[in-house]
This record gives sequence, C-alpha cells and structure tokens, in this order.
Amino acid sequence: MRLLHNYHYIGAVILFCIGLYTVIVRRNIIKKLIGLNIMETAVFFFYISLGYVDNGIAPIRVGGADPSKMVNPIPQALILTGIVVAVSVTALALSLVILLYRQFGTLDVDHLMRDEAEEAKEAGE
Amino acid sequence: MATALNVVMIVLLILSAILAVRAKDLLAAVIIFSVYSLIMALVWQRLQAPDLALTEAAVGAGVTTVLFLVAIFKTHREEER
Amino acid sequence: MKKIISLLFISALGVLLLFVVASMPRMGDPESPTREHVIPRYLENAEEETNSPNVITGIILNYRGYDTSGEVTVIFCALACVLAILGREKRGRIHSYVDRSPVPASPVVKTMVRFLAPFIILFSVYTILHGEISPGGGFQGGAIVGASIIIFTTIFGLWEASRRIPQKFRVPLEGSAFIIFFIVGILGIVGGGNFLTYAWPNIANNLQPSVVLWLTIIVEIGIGLGGAMVLISILFAMMREEEAIAPTA
Repeated sequence: MRLLHNYHYIGAVILFCIGLYTVIVRRNIIKKLIGLNIMETAVFFFYISLGYVDNGIAPIRVGGADPSKMVNPIPQALILTGIVVAVSVTALALSLVILLYRQFGTLDVDHLMRDEAEEAKEAGE
Repeated sequence: MATALNVVMIVLLILSAILAVRAKDLLAAVIIFSVYSLIMALVWQRLQAPDLALTEAAVGAGVTTVLFLVAIFKTHREEER
Repeated sequence: MKKIISLLFISALGVLLLFVVASMPRMGDPESPTREHVIPRYLENAEEETNSPNVITGIILNYRGYDTSGEVTVIFCALACVLAILGREKRGRIHSYVDRSPVPASPVVKTMVRFLAPFIILFSVYTILHGEISPGGGFQGGAIVGASIIIFTTIFGLWEASRRIPQKFRVPLEGSAFIIFFIVGILGIVGGGNFLTYAWPNIANNLQPSVVLWLTIIVEIGIGLGGAMVLISILFAMMREEEAIAPTA
C-alpha cells in the first residue's frame, strides 16, 4: 500500500486541512493567522518530504560524501526562501491587526464587519 | 524503529496543531504554536534538511512567536465569544 | 450551520488531496521523477562550480541568485509596509509595555540572558561565515541574531535595546542585503559575465575559485546583516508605543 508508506504526505494533508479550517471558521484574526502559518508549514513539510531519499544524507559534500545518496537539494533551497517570505507575511499581517484593533477595538471578524456596515450607513445618512 | 519515531512525531504535530487551534486563550495558542514549530524543525532534521531545521527553529519558534506575542499584548488576550 | 458547511467542504478537499497524494511516487525512492535532469548535475558539480560544499548554499546564492535577490526584496518590502502602517520613531530612544511593567524581570532570567546573548551572536556569526561548508548561511544567521536581540528586548525592555541598537545604526543596514546583491551582480557584468555571475571570465582561471568564494561570503554577510536588521526593526516598530514619556524605572 503506497499511501501508507507515504505517511508524511498524509500528515501534510491533515495539517493543511486543520489550517484551512481555522482560517475559515475561527472568527478571531490572530487565530486565523495561526491557521495560515500552519497551512504554510504543511506545504513546506510536503515539499521537504518529496525530496527525501531512503537512508539519505544531507546535501553537504564534506568528507567524501556520496552525491548519489544525497537528498534532493532543490526543495530545500526553495523552502528556505518560502520560510523567510512566510515570516514577512506574518509580520505585515500582524501590524495590520494592531492597526485594526486601534481603530475598532475588536479582533472579531463579525464585529468588524458590523462596525463597517454601521459606519457606511451613518455616512449614507 | 525509525518509522515509529517518525509516526509519533507526525502525530505530535497534528495534536499540537489541533490544540493550538482549539485553545481559547490566545497566549496559550501562540505558545503551543511555537511547540509545533519546534517539532517541525525536528521532523525536518530527520528528513535530512539541517539548513531548514536551523531556520525553522530560529524563525518559527523564535521570531514568529515573539511577533505574535507582541501583537497579543497590544490587542486582546482572550478570544471573544 | 456555517461550521458544518465548512467542515463538509474541508473534508471533501481533504479526501481529494488524499487521492492526489495516493498516486504520487513512493517516498524515498532514489529513482523517483523528482530526481531527474538538473538534480544529479547540481549534486555532482556544485562543489567545483560554486565553491561551496553545502549544495543548498550554492543553489540559493549562485545557481538561483535571482530568486534570492527577489526574496531579499520581499523582506525589505515587508519592513517598508510595516513602517508605513505603524510608523517609525522620530529619533532617540523608544519604550514599550515591557518598560512600564510593574513586575520587574527576575534576576535569574536577566543574568542568564546577559550571559547567553554574546554566545548566541557568536554562534550566528559562525553560522553566517561557515554557511558554505556546514548547514547555515545568511538567512539562518540573520534570524539567529534577530532572535538574540528579541530575547534581550523582551527581558530588558525596548528602552534599553534601542540604546544598544540605535536607529542611525539600523537604517543603513536594513537595505544592505539588496545593495550587496546588486553590487555583486554589477561586478559580474564588469568582470565580463552576466548579471550575478560569480566566476568572472575576464580574470585568470586559477584566481576564479577564490573570487567565487569571497563573493559568496560577502553576499552571505550582506544577507545576514540585512535580514537581522529587518527583523529587529519590524519588532521595534511593533513594540513601540507612542507617548513621549520615559519609563519610570
């Protein structure tokens, strides 16, 4: 059974679904951001396990290491970029969250939408 | 043996993700999320990606957690019902 | 109701993803299709071509240097956006909630942080400079520097941390990653190659390995400094509080 052998992939799918559930259902924005981070790490995890080789060694050629046994270096290089971009996205989103709280005094998405609707109504009158 | 260790680590990952998502207290959620990042770094080390494990341990468990903490202290600690 | 619909949707998506994953090749197969074409070449030739035994450093700085320069731009843009949203301090020292806390940090924690911070910075310097031989490199080292300053800031407060790392020290270094990347790229053109060519064709063959090595180290240092300063500035901008009063303690 190939899927059972690829249990890393199953873990990545479950983590992705947990993250997506948080982003959709939870109403608190910081919770949503935690969910977004879980989704990101799930995708990174999937990529890294794609590049793994049985009994592989890290792709560092020191001490006459055999290149044919090394794990795939491309996913690792790409995900290194991805992690740094993920932390920049998180920082930007959190500063927006701080600004939202300063403006509306709540982090609940439903409250935020209601406040916005009321403001639009007041502006219309 | 190695397979059992991998499975245990992935189960721990999923458990910590669920706990982080379910926690009512945002502070607890963020701390559990940093544990999640740390386990992820260990899993990546087991997948022979030492560069990434180093980055995840520093960025995921360190920088991201502190950024979340700062945002929580500047806003609201409890999740509203 | 909304919860049930989203649960249904997500479980459907999960089943779909599991089907896709089930038809993927066996994980850990040395013959799998992800290991064709360019991968064996990278693994075989990276050491001679990029002069870095760590293949990942060779890929992110040399083979795919454009990619990394774009990434450096992304983190700089993130910093610019954070500063545009939250604002930057005018001048001088700044403070935050940590400084106004009525409960001072425990002396044990303070002593430990004061003891550990230099060692963490030393480790990060090792990580940056040894990036092409051992696991590590610019981003990793930069993140570790950032983490050490973050520990310091959360314990000793922003008032103290902004005295150690003043604004006039941070501002010129924030852009250093992209500037150094750009300079090295232009030097590649001057040396007779394309943008971001490390092995200049215009110089003698026996000089090329050392030039490649030094350019790699310079780029690593630039990325490390730039990344660390960007992370520190983002943290300071998020922690800073507006009132222009000094903390009591």
